[in-house]
Amino acid sequence: MKRKKQNKVDPHIRSLTKIVGESEILYKPEDLISYDCDGFTVHKALPKAVVFPKNTEEVAALVQYCHMNHLPFLARGAGTGLSGGAIPLNEEIIISLVKMKQLLCVDYENRQAVVQPGYVNLKLTNSISDKGYYYAPDPSSQYVCTIGGNVAENAGGAHCLKYGVTTNHILGLEVVLPHGEVIEIGGEGAPDSPGYDLMGLLTGSEGTLGIVTKITVRILKSPQGKKTVLAYFDDVEEGSRAVSDIIAAGIVPAALEMMDKTAIEGVEAGTFPVGHPPDIEAFLLIEVDGIMAGLEEQIEQILEVCESWNVREVKVAKSEEERSRWWANRKTGFGAMGAISPDYLVQDGVIPRSRLPEVLKEIEKISRESGLRIANIFHAGDGNLHPLILFDSRVPGETEKALQAGTACLKACADVGGSITGEHGVGIEKKEEMRFIFTEEEIEAQLDIRDVFNPYDLLNQGKLFPKPSRCMDVKKIVKDTVAVQS
Amino acid sequence: MDTQEHVELHDLYGNRGSEWHEPVSEEEICERLKRAHEEGRKVAIESGGTKRGYGGARGEYDWTLSLKKYKGIVEHNAGDMTITVKPGTTIAELQRFLQEYGQQVSLDPHWPEQATIGGVISANESGPKRLAYGSARDLVIGLRIVYPDGRIIRTGGKVVKNVAGYDMNKLFIGAMGTLGVISEITMKLRPAPKYESLALVSVPEGEEEKLRLLAVEIQDAMIEPVTLEILTPALAEKLTGTRAFTLLVGYEDVECSVKEQEGWMIHHKPENAVLEILHEEEARKFWERFAVTVPNTHTKEKDLCAVLKAGTKNMDVFTMMTTALDLGISHLVDIEAHGGLGHGISEYVVRGQQDNIIAVIEGLRAAAEQKGGYIVIKQLPFHLRKKVDVWGRNPGHFSLMEGIKKAVDPYGVCNLQRYIGGI
Repeated sequence: MKRKKQNKVDPHIRSLTKIVGESEILYKPEDLISYDCDGFTVHKALPKAVVFPKNTEEVAALVQYCHMNHLPFLARGAGTGLSGGAIPLNEEIIISLVKMKQLLCVDYENRQAVVQPGYVNLKLTNSISDKGYYYAPDPSSQYVCTIGGNVAENAGGAHCLKYGVTTNHILGLEVVLPHGEVIEIGGEGAPDSPGYDLMGLLTGSEGTLGIVTKITVRILKSPQGKKTVLAYFDDVEEGSRAVSDIIAAGIVPAALEMMDKTAIEGVEAGTFPVGHPPDIEAFLLIEVDGIMAGLEEQIEQILEVCESWNVREVKVAKSEEERSRWWANRKTGFGAMGAISPDYLVQDGVIPRSRLPEVLKEIEKISRESGLRIANIFHAGDGNLHPLILFDSRVPGETEKALQAGTACLKACADVGGSITGEHGVGIEKKEEMRFIFTEEEIEAQLDIRDVFNPYDLLNQGKLFPKPSRCMDVKKIVKDTVAVQS
Repeated sequence: MDTQEHVELHDLYGNRGSEWHEPVSEEEICERLKRAHEEGRKVAIESGGTKRGYGGARGEYDWTLSLKKYKGIVEHNAGDMTITVKPGTTIAELQRFLQEYGQQVSLDPHWPEQATIGGVISANESGPKRLAYGSARDLVIGLRIVYPDGRIIRTGGKVVKNVAGYDMNKLFIGAMGTLGVISEITMKLRPAPKYESLALVSVPEGEEEKLRLLAVEIQDAMIEPVTLEILTPALAEKLTGTRAFTLLVGYEDVECSVKEQEGWMIHHKPENAVLEILHEEEARKFWERFAVTVPNTHTKEKDLCAVLKAGTKNMDVFTMMTTALDLGISHLVDIEAHGGLGHGISEYVVRGQQDNIIAVIEGLRAAAEQKGGYIVIKQLPFHLRKKVDVWGRNPGHFSLMEGIKKAVDPYGVCNLQRYIGGI
């Protein structure tokens, strides 16, 4: 009976099952639905199967099988990516790494930890905080996103202004190459290994060059003190001028975040309201950390700068509890938009910090012209903007309008010498927009490098790079609710 | 440098072009490489010329492309804290320019008056302060590369946070010029420190373990030193006059924070240790002297000399250092060394007879590899580079590196055979 049933199954599925075991594979359409997209929900497609390897050997065997049989495949972590990097466009075999979720070792003396790719970002900090250590990159989804996914996307976070993004914290990688060979880069965490910096190249390659199966990361000692300031402005431009002046004063804040009026309306209607004044135009959330004795002086300077730009009210967090509430309010900002709009689309442009006022005006213009509200939540300190375009997918044509407005925001960033993505990646969402910042030749140069690793383009096909001619499929309008998570 | 001198240096260190070209514009660089590509010429690339003895299995190339005259600031956005410079700009010129704005490029490689930013990026040079500020890969946000066929390819951008496409910047940092000529470098800047000091902690011979324990304690405490550099007694003697293992603990922050950390150090000074604290100008002067203690290819040396770089786990630097001194005694060579206990890079100057130097290199390499680390030879005369491998054994994934070289420079125009495995 069982044999008869198995005979109906695709022979590839049978072979993949042999590698991972019957309990570790999904292939029935109803089981695959949750894998039809990631945090970018505008485009959806079903994979052929999802497999859950338990170790590097299984990943290598799966990859070898796909390579030998010319089956497209891709790796997936928690699926929180915001640009569609884990969406199966070609009926891929999805290699989910969520069952490889061990913390393999922590070496406090050498300040490093080794994790499997499915290990959740925040768990690392939680596991070492009792000894006073932490892992610096802190994307807003850190309570659920995996470090493997962070490596693929070169994830950032609010505190990367001072401490850098994922690539600055990776010391070694074990990688399964697209033909199934397992390699080690960076050895046991010795810096500057001789040879081209493949670790730097792989980090942020959006899963197109290899599948990371083990990661050695740098861990840091927690700062002695932290001070957090909330400053309310009646004018967005004055708020953004204050950002520039704080940096110009020689302060390196740990974080410097900004939200505008629409965003504030969202977070106040969301799960973690903190009572921001409803009539305020913008606020800055500023954090400095380091040796306690030096923080007071920096806070005084920050307050002075805010005063000089006519701040309405400014307060310093009185307790860790208050600080945590402010951060929860900020970090759940994207999701909170769901409270004020049926759908929203998040963008991820970067601009030179000093161009903030003019770009904000341009975004306002885009909002006016499209007739869609745009909320702005951003890492102001490093010029990384997250315009959130609010729309209603039930209204015919509005999804398309939202996508166009998003593209226009990225164009505005590119036009002032910025970039189309600071931390969310290109994925499928922004691959055409790559042309805003790179020439054909430059894109070709990157593809030449991809071909060295992934010559048959079976691994995460159709991501990151524009097609030779513009592909309208990518911007296909899907009527599903867009519920992008933070 | 006169022509006679550079001919002599090239005789000693190889990496020599029969013809010498000094482009002053990007167009000239493009033209030169395009011609090389078409005519099948081999080009040696340099700028300050301080690293001629670093890698390279060829004595001669057809041309030397010297970027020493292709220098200057292209764009400085003080408000954005970014700068774009041409490769021939020396580190000192760059820092002097930024000083006026209270800013700095947080890189402290050796020989700032001679070493150029192009060379420092290409060789991935760093100094003790990488502990706090990172190395070139953490600072470079964009590059313009003249590809070996003369095309101009931009990588990265001009903003401090950017994940669009592959992080191609990383490929060219430390690539020893084997993937093209870097014609512009954009970096992020930091504010110059408001106050700085340097604590020198030295211990009598035989008690160096105390410094290792002190470094562990410092790292486990909530203080934030910018250096944790250990000096061997011979190097310490040159810099401080005292022949003793010495730990350099640097602080950079607002004054009250620096003072607080100095207080911690005074309180935790190991028994029998001598503690001296240099402030501001004194500390800066010390670092200036430190930066010129390890010879480069322009330095006149009486004896045969090799300079080695080791990369290991952070605290293994300490063991590497003591191993080096033991090897020095058994092979009758003089060794001066320093290394960062918080960042894992250490450096060794070995002087003596040829065979003894090679034996020390091999011994130290074995010790490093046993700990999962490596040794590369940063400076050695050309005839000796044929006897001992500069880069150590090829990694298991060397074929990817070969593939990258072939993809970018299929005809081997740029610095052929300069890098690992002869790429």
